[in-house]
Amino acid sequence: MKKVLVAAVLAAALSVLVATAWGSAKAPAKASSAATATVKCGKTQTIGIAAPLTGDAASLGLQQLRWAQFFAARWNRAHKKMKVRLVQGDTQLPNTAQALAVAHQFASNSKMLALIGPAGSQEVQDTVGVYKGAGLDVVTGSATRVALTRGKAGTPRETPVGWFYRTVPNDDQQGARVATWINTKLKKKRVYIIDDEEAYSQGLADQVQSLLNAKPGFHVSRDHVSQSVSDFSSLITRIPSNTQVVYIPWQLAPKAQLFFTQLRAAGKQAIVFGSDGTFAPGTFNAVGSYVSAFPVDFNSGTLKAYAKKHGGKSEAFGLPSYTAGLVNATAIAKACKDGKASRAEVRKYIKKTNLTAAQSLLGFPVRFLSKNTGAAQGAGDMAAPADFAIFRIASGGKYVRVG
Amino acid sequence: MHFLLYNILDTVRQLGWAGAFELLRNGIVLGSLYALVALGYTMIYGILKLLNFAHGDIYMVGAFLGYGVFTRLGAPLSPVVSIVPLLILTFLAAMLGAGALGVVVERFAYKPLRNAPRIAPLISALGVAFFLENSVLLLTDGTHYNYNTFELGGNPNTGLPGSLFHPAFSVAGRPVTVVQVLVVSAALALMLALTLVVSRTQLGKAMRATAFDREAASMMGIDTDRVITSTFFIASVLAGAAGVMFGLYIGETYYFMGFLAGLKAFTAAVVGGIGSIPGAMVGGLLIGVVESFAIGYVGGQWSDIVIFGILILFMLLRPNGLFGSRAIQKV
Repeated sequence: MKKVLVAAVLAAALSVLVATAWGSAKAPAKASSAATATVKCGKTQTIGIAAPLTGDAASLGLQQLRWAQFFAARWNRAHKKMKVRLVQGDTQLPNTAQALAVAHQFASNSKMLALIGPAGSQEVQDTVGVYKGAGLDVVTGSATRVALTRGKAGTPRETPVGWFYRTVPNDDQQGARVATWINTKLKKKRVYIIDDEEAYSQGLADQVQSLLNAKPGFHVSRDHVSQSVSDFSSLITRIPSNTQVVYIPWQLAPKAQLFFTQLRAAGKQAIVFGSDGTFAPGTFNAVGSYVSAFPVDFNSGTLKAYAKKHGGKSEAFGLPSYTAGLVNATAIAKACKDGKASRAEVRKYIKKTNLTAAQSLLGFPVRFLSKNTGAAQGAGDMAAPADFAIFRIASGGKYVRVG
Repeated sequence: MHFLLYNILDTVRQLGWAGAFELLRNGIVLGSLYALVALGYTMIYGILKLLNFAHGDIYMVGAFLGYGVFTRLGAPLSPVVSIVPLLILTFLAAMLGAGALGVVVERFAYKPLRNAPRIAPLISALGVAFFLENSVLLLTDGTHYNYNTFELGGNPNTGLPGSLFHPAFSVAGRPVTVVQVLVVSAALALMLALTLVVSRTQLGKAMRATAFDREAASMMGIDTDRVITSTFFIASVLAGAAGVMFGLYIGETYYFMGFLAGLKAFTAAVVGGIGSIPGAMVGGLLIGVVESFAIGYVGGQWSDIVIFGILILFMLLRPNGLFGSRAIQKV
């Protein structure tokens, strides 16, 4: 009888634990004390960075981390009164359970006033409720799914207005730019699109495919390949030899480089067109290829300084995390003017962000929209002229802006 | 379902015989690499009944060691030695380094658990796998390195491939490149050498005896600890060679590359019959060819489903694999 009782108590305790964990994961948390608490602004302010630091996508997350660290070092050198300290959270993209664990950890850190990340769109969708409950804004440098800021007919947007901002233009902006470029500048009609089976890549591939299919005379084929694949030889066999453009909106630039060399080794001469995920001078050096990305100025002193510090690589994919760091730190600095700050105050100033092109490093000024604008943007997206540019990879792997 | 079938038939028609040959060629090259890694799984399982899940990561470390020597010698753009010694030195460094790592892993992670329940070394193997992966992640900052053999001996300004990617010969108008011939012939040579070691040498005889009955072998005066260490060394040497071959053929080396390759090689070992050396060779080639045809005819998103579906089918229908023997339980 005693054993049965102990077992029953344990089972009950376990079910309470499971129910609590389930509830905290599923439902947006109610405003916690950390959300409303006012903290005394000491010399150092804490910003969280949620990114995949281990796992298959670590090469991307580590780029974001290094750019965020680069930002913190520069900020700390330039600002005597307010220093920035980064707290890292490893989200192990695409493991959203891990992203949720990081969200809860950050939410309960009362010293944390702002956040860079999470990196993936799905992670944002799954964690924004937790961050909202804790009063923290999500300011990401890479989650580009349109639905995060703008719902389509019959489906609402995936994040609450006023709680999500991004320092990258969204997929619709990028997709439209790429489709227009292929149609009007390259004037190529036979296009082969390969996504890497991740939400980011599929969204962009869908967008470009539907835009090109809507134009007369186009022959567009679609294929998929897992991010973990390195041997593309059999996939390349499937690509008809009269294909003129292969569009690869992939997250991993090294894979794009492998694909390019294997395509050429197979004797196929199609133009390779990458997305901002493959925007990596020094890694994706496919001469004659094109890449859509934010119009950064590679001659800027800051980019050169970063590249010098990181083995000559600009790792431009991670650059928007620098900008996200700056958005956050600037807001904290303003909130802390009276010596104390709350997450609510920081949010108020994030909403009013106004960075110049030189400050943002992205090639355009950063201001956030507060409502749907144009055909593709919603509240939390950057206002015009934020958009993608087109780069051509010239001899020696040099990225030359052509549009 | 009908749509999928229609697509497959349409792709078969479009690719024709030349395309089929190309897929077969790709599959054999890939399968040779799987076979080399699968041999390591099967040898270690044969002798210790241990699924060494760290083996894929030893393959990864081998690829990195090879990359280090390859680039230290100035390759691919300005090698300080000619191509043959360059490749020999790269292979030697990777094989010996991986072999040494295999011995160290065995000494510290498995040997102390020799008489523990079988689950203990299995968990230890998983621990070693994560340890190696994350150590390399920390050392390399997650960077994907590229052997870039496409440019070895070529001219980067013209974009034309280097000598390793020149056609060695053609079949049905489709070229078979020098690097593809190199990978397959080196893999076959290593498999032949292993077969000779196991069947014709004293060490091989001791390995077979230890695999058959470790306790009895020990009582017959065989130093089973030394035999096990030698087995780990040889298995890891093969994995190191496979790592370099992958680097030369595909180019890429990064901290996570051993994970999926290890799983596929494990599947190859199971399909061939885990514990069977010819089984690992045939299983590796089979998995490589199936993967290639699955990607070519069905689509890239289906390849893992097909491969791991085969693993499940074999586990259900033929758990001893193609060449494995049914173990007789003595009562």
